[in-house]
Amino acid sequence: MADKDQGAEGPLAGIRVLDVSIMAAGPWTGALLGMLGAEVIKVEPPAGDGTRWVMPTQKGMGTNFISMNVNKKNMTLDLKHEQGRAAALALLGTCDVFVQNFRGGVIERLKLDYESVRSVNPGLVYCSISGFGETGPLSRAGCADPIMQAFSGFARANGAPGEGVEAFRFTGFIDLSTAAVATEAILAALLNREQTGAGQKVEVSMLEAALEIQYTRIAELLGAGLVPVPRGSTSPALAPDRAYAALDRYIFLTVHNDREWGEFCAAIEHPALAADSRFLTNQSRVENREALDAAIEPILRARPAIWWLRVLQRHSVAAGLAHDFETFQHHAQILDNEMIARLDTPHWGEISVGGVPWHFSRTPCAVRAPATPGENTEEILASLSDTASADRVGRNGA
Amino acid sequence: MVLKGVKVVEFAEGAAGPLAATRLADLGAAVIKIETAEGDWMRRAVPAMSQDAMSASFFHLNRGKRSLALGHRPAEAVPLLRALLAAADVFITDRDADELKRFGIGAVSDGVYADNPRLVSVHVSPLGRKGPMARQRGSELTVQAMAGYTRYLGTQEQPPLRLGADVASTGTGIFAAQAVLAALYRRNRDGRGQRVDLSLLNSLLSMKSIHLAAQSDPDVYSGPRVGGANNPPERGWKTADKPIFFAFGGSVGAEGRAGWVDFVKEAGFSRLLDDPRFDKTGRTTTGHGIRVHEVREEYEKEFARFPSEALVSLIRKHAGNVAAYMSADETMAHPQTAALGIVNEVETREGHKTRVRAFPARFSRLKPQTKGRAPDLGEQTEAIAAEAGITGPAFRKMVESGGLLPRAGDA
Repeated sequence: MADKDQGAEGPLAGIRVLDVSIMAAGPWTGALLGMLGAEVIKVEPPAGDGTRWVMPTQKGMGTNFISMNVNKKNMTLDLKHEQGRAAALALLGTCDVFVQNFRGGVIERLKLDYESVRSVNPGLVYCSISGFGETGPLSRAGCADPIMQAFSGFARANGAPGEGVEAFRFTGFIDLSTAAVATEAILAALLNREQTGAGQKVEVSMLEAALEIQYTRIAELLGAGLVPVPRGSTSPALAPDRAYAALDRYIFLTVHNDREWGEFCAAIEHPALAADSRFLTNQSRVENREALDAAIEPILRARPAIWWLRVLQRHSVAAGLAHDFETFQHHAQILDNEMIARLDTPHWGEISVGGVPWHFSRTPCAVRAPATPGENTEEILASLSDTASADRVGRNGA
Repeated sequence: MVLKGVKVVEFAEGAAGPLAATRLADLGAAVIKIETAEGDWMRRAVPAMSQDAMSASFFHLNRGKRSLALGHRPAEAVPLLRALLAAADVFITDRDADELKRFGIGAVSDGVYADNPRLVSVHVSPLGRKGPMARQRGSELTVQAMAGYTRYLGTQEQPPLRLGADVASTGTGIFAAQAVLAALYRRNRDGRGQRVDLSLLNSLLSMKSIHLAAQSDPDVYSGPRVGGANNPPERGWKTADKPIFFAFGGSVGAEGRAGWVDFVKEAGFSRLLDDPRFDKTGRTTTGHGIRVHEVREEYEKEFARFPSEALVSLIRKHAGNVAAYMSADETMAHPQTAALGIVNEVETREGHKTRVRAFPARFSRLKPQTKGRAPDLGEQTEAIAAEAGITGPAFRKMVESGGLLPRAGDA
């Protein structure tokens, strides 16, 4: 980009983050902050973050761990011991952001709760990530992605029409949604600190994040009383908006408005449908969805998906085919836009992870391989004692 | 409020751009929504609100904003659009560079906007603004399919399924709000704005990081991250009423946590202790354990005697993770959700009370304000033009020449 700053780093360059979280929702928060340019130190207990052993591994390391801890340094600290806690507190004195996601009650036992930590660093943005929130009857209950899929209604909205529930087998999605919400909230708190000089506690729950990622379905529920249920590949909002069988495979298509409906009818060479009174508006198409599908299905079934893809593209109607990892990992569109990052790691070989979700023209972000567990323990502890002696020198001089 | 005084101009429809601007509004920003004469397509999305003709999703995605409607010859409104951008802190759009050029604001696609170098200009597209598919259309559904998400629902033999949640659009909305906040943070350092690009496809692939890593070059093709796409549908464990999902397994170390043995004993399933297919931690037979599909029925034979609520309490008692599958209305009514106070009451444009989702995080200092009302198409066109210095005859000329849409009843 022409206007990229010389030697530019991400927009959060200069921010320091201590991340003591484990599994996915907390760690990806740290990873996102790291991608944004912050210096992120992941702290692991001596037993290690459980994701190191989650299958599958690559050259012995959990791929989950690798993907969730990109853009981080790594140190081992036993927060249950006074020395470890003291080191964490000393580090927090140098940090802007703290991320923790222990089960309810644990952080208080470790005496690293907000009240204990704010006295050390009143400017700290203290982000606490939980399953169900920090008040209420389930505030101490453990959680995990599929648990929250069940609890939040997320799974209840998936499946073939008439079915009960179907969980998304792509596990971890709610964790990553939680991390996305946490990062949004941390950024708001960092901006707030610029105005007030004060840090604050930020509480994010998987429950609230799971509801945020269902924003439109919750809008329909709260605004119109429509309860989300399985609808196959359709949505309650629009029609046509689903997967249709073409001659060889399925084509996924969406008509967003009445103008696009006219274009769609022209593309499938059935202009008379555009004038059919049952299908004139989105509302009438949704109400007459069965008749609409009965009219469209035989037309689409007669030709290959790729033909429909071409003509729908010509008519500016949204259409696409399903991909999998093998077909998109080398896809020009995905590579040109850096949607996947290929990392060369020193110990675990080459590995693909998600690319950065935002592309800043002036302060570009990048994905970097995570440090190995404990790699930076000594250097970080050494820098602490340097700071401590520098402080002492400073105090003595004053 | 953290974004007090921040002016956001949104020229985007659907869910992604509008959700980002709504959350910025909750943080105190003032949002002007620009629409073309046909209006944001979400205005016509089904269903309408219970007490109001407005689309429920449109209301939730656009509450607290003011609307300016362009007419059928938007070229006549170029001076107004440029004035709005010159005064704005943030621009959020889903229009491509060619379209923006046609609206006379093509320069906002440049990295730093020459007429307002402080502007943070956020561009949302379906498939990315570079590459061979840069100009192709996309939707929530087509992007879910392209990102491989639909493979993790249903079976190969049955018609494809989508995720009921609009994950591509809402995910992108969250990332877009982050982009704005991060770029504003940077602007505080060096006084300059910049362009930020996001896409629905990019968001879903970023959020697929665990699964991309799992499929890269695994030591063994084993575990939920690689098997998921080929596994049977995951509907939990049947009980006497609702199905549940439960897991015994650890988050620290390789061994997991205890509890499973005590759970099966107390529940009266001690026979499972003698069955060699069950390890003694529950690690391989609960959650996403490798033996789940093999032994699910053994659990279900026992679970048939219990209502889900009883099993949920018992499993929690023994430190397992568990929940019954609920629908979103049950979730919203659950005492836990109620305790979080995450729903606020606001007014519709006709003065009815309705409930909306508050900002999705709690802060000890910041108090986001959930704004009500969502505008009719062009409801504030005249007021917004006046703030940009276009009043009286100049405004009427802009309307009469087709630059701006006349208000219903004004024509």
